[in-house]
Amino acid sequence: MHTEKEKHTFEPKIIAFVCTWCTYAGADLAGTSRMQYPANVRVLKFPCTGRIDPVFILKAFQQGADGVLVSGCHPGDCHYIAGNFHARRRFAAFRKLLEFVGVDLGRLQFSWVSAAEGGKWVEMVTGLTEQVRGMGPMQEFKELALEEQWSGSIDTPELQEAYDQI
Amino acid sequence: MTQLIDTSIYTAVTEAIQGEARRILSEGSVSAVVGYAAARRKGSAQPVVITQADDSGKLIFSAACVNNLAVYLTKAKKDIPKNGKIGIVVKGCDLKALVGLMGESQLKREELYLIGVPCAGVLASTILPDTALTSGTIASKCRECGERLPQGCDYTPTVTPPITPVLEKKYAAEIARLEAMTPAERWAYWKEQFKKCIKCYACRQVCPFCFCEQCLCDRNKPQMVETTPRPAGNFAWHIVRAMHLAGRCAGCAECERVCPMDIPLNLLNRKMAKELKELYNHEAGFEVREKGPLAMYDEKDDQSFIK
Repeated sequence: MHTEKEKHTFEPKIIAFVCTWCTYAGADLAGTSRMQYPANVRVLKFPCTGRIDPVFILKAFQQGADGVLVSGCHPGDCHYIAGNFHARRRFAAFRKLLEFVGVDLGRLQFSWVSAAEGGKWVEMVTGLTEQVRGMGPMQEFKELALEEQWSGSIDTPELQEAYDQI
Repeated sequence: MTQLIDTSIYTAVTEAIQGEARRILSEGSVSAVVGYAAARRKGSAQPVVITQADDSGKLIFSAACVNNLAVYLTKAKKDIPKNGKIGIVVKGCDLKALVGLMGESQLKREELYLIGVPCAGVLASTILPDTALTSGTIASKCRECGERLPQGCDYTPTVTPPITPVLEKKYAAEIARLEAMTPAERWAYWKEQFKKCIKCYACRQVCPFCFCEQCLCDRNKPQMVETTPRPAGNFAWHIVRAMHLAGRCAGCAECERVCPMDIPLNLLNRKMAKELKELYNHEAGFEVREKGPLAMYDEKDDQSFIK
């Protein structure tokens, strides 16, 4: 029987950009092995980590993600020989840029998860979900999007009251 | 305390540029020369393309010659006819941009005739072009410039740039100030800066490296970046711009100069340059490299941030 699921006030949305050859297969292994991990993660499959443009990460945050996980093959294991090496440099630069504009890097995680590492995938997802849960919702980009429509703050007592009445 | 910066070499430089342009145009070794000419207001300068040897008297060089002329040679801005060699007047910072473009196969060295300019610095703003060059009016990029004499040009006037006084490095100081802040404070700072953006894309238009015929930010199927001049769209545009210039930017600071809203755009570029120097020991220079730091890799690259 399943254990009683713990109720949380905040369920973060985690977007995972994964490569189809390693991490996606790893996540599949976790599933077929009946391992449990938080359902907060939404997996997006790409041919390779080299295909994952930093713009995707930005877009994910803008569309309401609270955390982003980027995962692919271990160095040397890339199906396309060097895609993950290129991705490694690109993300090393991109995270510095995000840090400089004021994004908390605790919300952005990179990992290598091979097709055999179902357990590591579970660890990554659980770890990031709990970490982001502790940090609370990603307000910055949501506030920007709201300002796009009206110049109000996202967390007014009126909104909270209206929300509670639903 | 403002110090006067010696720009006396510019008279000799102007004469040398004129003589060389006259020579190469009358010989027919180039079809056009891209340079600076005096503009209508006293002391101001504007880019000019001359094709006749008789027009070479128009060419000047002064502290108001701020533009990076490399932009006129890029693919997206097809202003110069592509027949024969083209002569171009370059400062050290402009040459770095040209070298970058050569590395990215946008230009061929053998199709260019480079007239290098020993530079003592240019003005930060051309609103008052007739002001003297001092430690107060000099462009921020010139404060950190270590390349006053462009190298590897076809012709460089034989004048040595004067020793300029050591000036406070404004970008380095500002980056250090921002890095010391908390993420929330930095976010507030950039939010305030990007709020001003009106999405005029002057920064893109003036950048020698923004040569894509269709910019990712103009695409709408799928739309990756909001095009509205509103907070979310502005943030996305400036992050994408900085990311696409990472490892390529030559530091000519034209983006910052043309910004009508005074957003410190070059600050983002300098920060990325600093990070890429630390991570991959890459710096924009005078040597043509086939690949930039983000277009290549090393198996031993740092991956401490990857779990």
